[in-house]
Amino acid sequence: MKKLINDPFDMVEEMVDGFISANDDIVKRVGRRSIARLESPIPNKVAIVVGGGSGHLPAFAGYVGSGMADAAAFGNVFASPPAKPIIEAALACDSGAGVVFIYGNYAGDCLNFDRAQDTCREMGHDVESVVMNDDVASAPSSDALRRRGIGGMLWVYQIAGAKAETLASLGEVVEIAHRANENTRTIGVGLSSCIVPANGKATFALADDEIEVGLGIHGEPGMKRQKVAPVDEIIEEMFAQLMADLDYRNQRVALSINGLGGTPAEELFVVYRKVKALCDAHGITIAHKAVGEFVTALEMAGASISITRLDLEMEILLNAPVNTCMFKKLQRESSSA
Amino acid sequence: MNINGLTVAEILNQVAIDIEDQKDYLCFLDGEVGDGDHGVSMTIGMRAVRRSLADLPTSYLPSDVFDSAAEAYAVEVGATIGPLYEAAFAAAGDAARDKKTLDHTSDWLNIYQAMFTAIQELGGAELGDKTILDSFHPAIESMRVSVAASSDLADALTLAGQVAMQSARDTKDMVPLKGRASRLGERAVGHQDAGATSIAIILQSIAREVAKLQLQINYHFTL
Repeated sequence: MKKLINDPFDMVEEMVDGFISANDDIVKRVGRRSIARLESPIPNKVAIVVGGGSGHLPAFAGYVGSGMADAAAFGNVFASPPAKPIIEAALACDSGAGVVFIYGNYAGDCLNFDRAQDTCREMGHDVESVVMNDDVASAPSSDALRRRGIGGMLWVYQIAGAKAETLASLGEVVEIAHRANENTRTIGVGLSSCIVPANGKATFALADDEIEVGLGIHGEPGMKRQKVAPVDEIIEEMFAQLMADLDYRNQRVALSINGLGGTPAEELFVVYRKVKALCDAHGITIAHKAVGEFVTALEMAGASISITRLDLEMEILLNAPVNTCMFKKLQRESSSA
Repeated sequence: MNINGLTVAEILNQVAIDIEDQKDYLCFLDGEVGDGDHGVSMTIGMRAVRRSLADLPTSYLPSDVFDSAAEAYAVEVGATIGPLYEAAFAAAGDAARDKKTLDHTSDWLNIYQAMFTAIQELGGAELGDKTILDSFHPAIESMRVSVAASSDLADALTLAGQVAMQSARDTKDMVPLKGRASRLGERAVGHQDAGATSIAIILQSIAREVAKLQLQINYHFTL
């Protein structure tokens, strides 16, 4: 294992210290493993709390700032944070307008966020939760509640975050977060494994000529292993999975191509080019787009495609500016909706 | 035997060492079907347990040891395993409440049963779902038989540890219904469950420590 770390068991602690120092114009520490926007709590604004295991930056802490999340809790690598830092995050940003937890559907996250929600409610805070489940590879559509949450969070956080910035009510923010999640599908492909620092060895093995379609962002096995093929063929197959799951034909969408940590940006643009062509062929209009690393899996090579089917409200909300620790965009003029 | 608070702390310290020794094996088991971090999460928890033992007051009961282990898991671990072991150790603390020593087979049956119930209630798994419960439950049944047969504590714990490890191996044939591995379904058959294995390591470690204690007593008695 070659990594820029000291003792592997100290990595998360040292990363959190560095992360907070490097972003001290946007966030403040509100617990040993929790951060919140500097301005928190913001009067009358519903607060969005995110969090999950470390190893996925920019997810989750990277999305704290204006236009997305108000606070985040850090877990150990690939492990949900305990309830405590989630509670610290929630208490730091609740102005009284309420809090929404938005996180991915994993057993550990559900358990810890639920416990944090119970505790916060007992303390008199209004807390609701939205659990993201956009990964089509992790369960059939008939069993969608068992699906994992992966790359689609980029759009869900922005849509919910922009809504919250308008000082919408807790119910309204929860509703649109659900709506964004329900209209988002993601599929990934893994090309190589990753190394959890405290483990020291690759989580799994893929042969040099093998890829895995549907691979999860912690190295969980996906749908099937297959021989590597030209990227256009791989993308056609992945795109077909998304289309089979949700009818995007003739819709306006937000599209993101996400690198998992070990794939060069150049390859992501090759992927984008093919997905764009497939969208064109299906009458799909890409109203919003992003290419880069949004939800990674340490140094895993591979990419995921997330597509959110937009209605007018979601499309307009995505024009809002974002200034978070690791994702920034300027206000956009209304596109030809 | 005199398994007082200090002895329980020594036992738990050895449990922590044994879990860390098996970190890579537990990660390997988890990596086959999950995300490969079970050994890491357990090591993080057990290191925190060892640190918390150092902070215990000068005089303490067995329940205090379990309570501080629960707190260590609650604060440091997260994931699924953090809350599950937090609940299990807290239940062990409740089962041992006010007892000065845990010298009887029935004391440990009660503790194991309380831990099992806490894990089952919080995790919501059923027997056969390929989880911790599937090695823990047969071990407890074996303890129950030992209590009925008035077996001595070291023998009862040793047998329970062996039953747990064999049952952990038997999880290979099960289809997972909880946790990250559950999304694999049939593809996980043939792989041994990491959570079922780590509790078996813990039970074996406790048994070895108590057996060592027993040996020392027998030795002194012979002299």
